[in-house]
Amino acid sequence: MEARVLVIDHDKCTGCRRCELVCSVFHEGVSNPSKARIKVEKWEWEGLYIPMTCRQCVDAPCMNVCPVKAIERDDAQGKVSVDYDKCIVCRSCVAVCPFGAMNFNPAEKKVFKCDLCDGNPQCVRFCDMKAVDYIDSRKESTVRKRDAALKMAEAKKLGATTVYEG
Amino acid sequence: MIDEKSTAESLGSTRTYGQVRCMNPSCTSRITPQPGQTMAKCPKCGSEWRIFWVKAGLPRVRGPVWETSLKMANAKWDTLTDKKEEK
Amino acid sequence: MALDRKLAVVDLTTGNIEIKPIPLDVRKKFLGGRGLAAYLLYKYVKPGCDPMGPENAVIFSAGPLGGTLASAGSRTDVMCKNPLTGLLGSGNMGGFFAPELRWAGFDHILVKGKADKPVYIWVHDGEVEIKDGKNVWGKTVTEAQWAVREELGDPDIKSAVCGPAAEKGVKYGNVMTGIKNANGRGGGGSVMGSKNLKMVAARGTMDIKIAHPMEALEFDKKYIEMITGAKVNQTMGTLGTPFIWGAANAWGGVRANNFQLNQLLYSDDIEPESLDEISNQTVGKYHMAACFGCQVHCRAKYRIPDRPLSQKLGMVGKYDEGPEYTSQNAFCGEPGCTKAETLLICNHLVNQYGVDNLEIGSLISWAMELYEKGILTSKDTGGIDLRFGNDEALIEMIHHICNRDTWLGDVLAEGGLAAAEKIGRDSLKYMIHVKGMNHLGSDERATPGLALNAAMASRGSDHLRSRPAIDLYHLPEQVLRRIYGSPVPYDGPLSPDQREYAGKAWMVFWQETCFMGVDCLGTCKYHTTFLGATLPNFEDWSKVLYYNTGLEMTPREMWDVAERCNLIERLFNIREGMKKDDPLKGEMLVDRYFDEPCRLGAPDVVGATLDRVKFEKMRAEFYQHKGCDEDGIPTPQTLSRLGLDTLDAEQPRL
Repeated sequence: MEARVLVIDHDKCTGCRRCELVCSVFHEGVSNPSKARIKVEKWEWEGLYIPMTCRQCVDAPCMNVCPVKAIERDDAQGKVSVDYDKCIVCRSCVAVCPFGAMNFNPAEKKVFKCDLCDGNPQCVRFCDMKAVDYIDSRKESTVRKRDAALKMAEAKKLGATTVYEG
Repeated sequence: MIDEKSTAESLGSTRTYGQVRCMNPSCTSRITPQPGQTMAKCPKCGSEWRIFWVKAGLPRVRGPVWETSLKMANAKWDTLTDKKEEK
Repeated sequence: MALDRKLAVVDLTTGNIEIKPIPLDVRKKFLGGRGLAAYLLYKYVKPGCDPMGPENAVIFSAGPLGGTLASAGSRTDVMCKNPLTGLLGSGNMGGFFAPELRWAGFDHILVKGKADKPVYIWVHDGEVEIKDGKNVWGKTVTEAQWAVREELGDPDIKSAVCGPAAEKGVKYGNVMTGIKNANGRGGGGSVMGSKNLKMVAARGTMDIKIAHPMEALEFDKKYIEMITGAKVNQTMGTLGTPFIWGAANAWGGVRANNFQLNQLLYSDDIEPESLDEISNQTVGKYHMAACFGCQVHCRAKYRIPDRPLSQKLGMVGKYDEGPEYTSQNAFCGEPGCTKAETLLICNHLVNQYGVDNLEIGSLISWAMELYEKGILTSKDTGGIDLRFGNDEALIEMIHHICNRDTWLGDVLAEGGLAAAEKIGRDSLKYMIHVKGMNHLGSDERATPGLALNAAMASRGSDHLRSRPAIDLYHLPEQVLRRIYGSPVPYDGPLSPDQREYAGKAWMVFWQETCFMGVDCLGTCKYHTTFLGATLPNFEDWSKVLYYNTGLEMTPREMWDVAERCNLIERLFNIREGMKKDDPLKGEMLVDRYFDEPCRLGAPDVVGATLDRVKFEKMRAEFYQHKGCDEDGIPTPQTLSRLGLDTLDAEQPRL
């Protein structure tokens, strides 16, 4: 079976930040967004909310940059994780992540990232909008295809040309 | 502690779906519009309501059918003012 | 633990800042949020002080469930002596400020004194500073919030701000956060303005330790399902609070043309479904936004649609959120306007000026009736044709009041009672108010229980203090008994008929206690027994409080806290001059409720008036339930039962 992936449809996000909350409670036992593995970035004046978290990259920059090979990807689980026994906390992974998804906890002197809650991501469990979802990796684009097609269908009903003529 | 049902929680099972109540205070009959129907007439008092479907199974009264509402209100008002004049 | 947040007392005159812990016995007595704020206001504000002077205080409060897993732990209470009424000023807003304040280490920021130049307060990770306000003063509600982020270099700062209206001394200035979350009805923004305080900005990275994290997560799942499972919240998550106005207008329960009619006819364009369609077109299919930790998401995003009036005023495409139920009252029903663009423009303006929508809309509508009656002339209005249904006149008046740049605008900025004194003749007769605060846009002549709520609301005419809204649902008596008979027993009358008087005093008393409870906890009123009968209250709070904070309190103990805190608000009002039958500061409705019958609406609403004798009997019952004498003064036995007998004499407990 293909590993599932965390997908984000920011259009659906209501900006409530419950994902941040349940993430920090599940992992740390505290409410504290600065310790959450997911964060909703906002442009309030446009009503734009975008949840950001680790994309569990196949060719992960954090993994590649790590000088002590403390970061590994488990393809079966589709998960990139840090081996804290090897980690020297140089924070190179924090610096290099293109999504800002690797974080640093100064109090505990540890880097931290999304671990998909061992297969039951709490952010997904608590997101009623399913702005954050955990699905078969092949489904991400099929949903988008259908949404885009629907828009074209609706446009066609209104009389728009939906055929591209080179 | 998690499993004990509170009053509010157990009342959840009393929810009804697919119906609205007539908004005439002395009537309050339950009206069951057909799915997708956008107007419903109260079988008891004759008030007419415009219906909006929040989702399937969850209709709500959007507003009155204005002409009917106004006609019924005026008729009621006339009976009240007639009475006063009689006095 | 989740309860270890502190109180900061900031004196803007001296610059002195005191940080105090909140002892556990204080928690058990007042919980936090609005309840503890009421205690602080009572103890820290000098009796009889000038609300716009340095002796007044403005208190920003989060509740013990703020920032926790409890659904919608988002609410910020702001309390002060209200410049509009001279009595209790109290408002409550959602958004993201309260959790940020808690992550920064605080539950309460009490500000007294007056700064000699504009300042703001910066709260971050256990520290409180007074900062120069030159970059934020003079800015609109949103501009000021973005400016402070820029100044301090952190896009995640959340602030509670006052707007330009409050800076100019308008007496009903809001405290606001985000695009539109408004702490209205309390005059907190005006008090901030009078202190030269533009905002409290907060940013925190401190833990709120959850007492039983895994159990809390599991319980929370159930708790949220109770909330989102309610039909009313599904409706609200789709249409926002405008659905309430739509429902009330359907049967004739709204104010129209000030208070001359009880229904806004042919109002299809401002019905929630039409507003939803505008959001669909201007923002997209997913256009609902939520406050912190809330899955009801009742706040619509919109852009002002491209219509002739918005074009003329250069407002096309401006982004805002809402409008709420109250804006439909203020900018549609009361002034008799039926265009969506007018509503959306007015909503945007009041959000930017930071002014109370209900108060400003009601005052303009009152002026419209005075204009209609010839009490105000076009000379007084500066040439504005202030007739009902004149959309542009309404919009112009909002600008004039907030900028205080015309005679009438300046007069109305001082509030209704002061304005009536200046305008003279029998202008006061036409103002619909309680305790000097204009009434919200509902018409309660056909619903005695809701009318009692309006008269009794501790902050002046209002629905969010004790409205038994489920009285409109015709719930079977046995269901009412289950709700209203817990956590304290009640075996008096209860009627599913909204036209009845019997038993309504208990429902109002129960709701008053429930609403204080939820405001003490710092969660949202839409998540308790307000608009839905199946939503959590005392029994459920006891659990959610325990799992999140570790504090063990029985439902009955939480009821007692709420009852106690409500009584403190009453004692504050009595101390500041409230007398039950005083037409200006009392607990009475204006004569029109009793004398003028409803003209429109459902057949059984037409002709309805309130019965004065029955109403006064209902009020007397309400006083009895509260343990007050016939004048509404708490009896010594009640004070002693609730541990308030030493309230005046004791040193502040914190």
